[in-house]
Amino acid sequence: MNIVWTVVTVAAIAALTFLDPQSVLTVCLDSSSQALKTALELCAVYCVWLGVFQVAENCRLVEKLSRILKPLNKRLYGNISEAAAGYVSLNLASNLLGVGNAATPSAISAIRETEKGETLSRSGVMLFVVNATSVQLLPTTVIGMRASLGSANPADIILPNLVTTAITSVIGIALVFVAYGRAKK
Amino acid sequence: MNYVVPVLLITVLVYGLIKRVNVYDGFVLGAKKSFDLSLSIFPYLAATFIMVNCLRASGLDIYLVRFLSPPFRLVGVPTEVVQLMLLRPFTGSGSLAVLADVYKQYGVDSYVGRCASCIFGSSETVFYVASVYFAGTKVKHTGFAIPIALFCNLVGGIAACLLCKVM
Repeated sequence: MNIVWTVVTVAAIAALTFLDPQSVLTVCLDSSSQALKTALELCAVYCVWLGVFQVAENCRLVEKLSRILKPLNKRLYGNISEAAAGYVSLNLASNLLGVGNAATPSAISAIRETEKGETLSRSGVMLFVVNATSVQLLPTTVIGMRASLGSANPADIILPNLVTTAITSVIGIALVFVAYGRAKK
Repeated sequence: MNYVVPVLLITVLVYGLIKRVNVYDGFVLGAKKSFDLSLSIFPYLAATFIMVNCLRASGLDIYLVRFLSPPFRLVGVPTEVVQLMLLRPFTGSGSLAVLADVYKQYGVDSYVGRCASCIFGSSETVFYVASVYFAGTKVKHTGFAIPIALFCNLVGGIAACLLCKVM
């Protein structure tokens, strides 16, 4: 990430300096305020979901969920702590229900449980790949945008989208097994 | 599908009441964590956004697209969506803007428009997600996580272009 970021940023700033030196700082400042806005928006989203998750945890709903998903979690993530198993189950459930907003905070909480060292563990890699390729039942953003631009049938991409995400999920999970072997039980 | 979230929320809260836990205190306790979380993400977001916005403002991404479109065409990806596939791993809002451009230029229901929809729907902002996930942990070496995710995005993009021809 260090090299990619530095090379791309330096190249882009250099090119921008040739075109319009005055805009360099403006673009940088716009970007950081955009980042601040995004972080605040995420804060609002996480606030709702983390609040609800905590309630679910307190009334042992999460425990029940992770007991149901235990066989699947064991195979995907191997031996992880009870707290991590809870977050991973919440994550899986949010992904399957298509509530992407809720998937991120649960994944972050899970990562913070499983990762204590400097090198990402197998379970961390698996969690990342599962989320990056997650099966999407309803691509709501795209459908909404298509509808607003006057598409004749905004929802007709659901099927190809579903098939595509299914393909990427299978390939992604398979690649983790290839690269890291089976999960330790 | 519109009922998923409301039903979920009501179920959890009512279940909490039945089990006699303090729902209000629980919610506040959980919600409190969101501030630290988003604060730890902010610097990573800023770095990513600066890179992407400089890239777009300088026009370098167009050159990159020109350079990369022949190999993409070879595997069935039309040139018009290469920019979308290129920006998608870095930025959600940036690639959404590109998607809107594609819609306007080629039509929402055209083959290119449907391809672009499917690419956007099936891919993930890999670098963005990575910075969000690993912020606040000690993780420095992410191993195969990012390469695998990027490869899946690529395969997904190619599959999307093929599937949109037949579906």
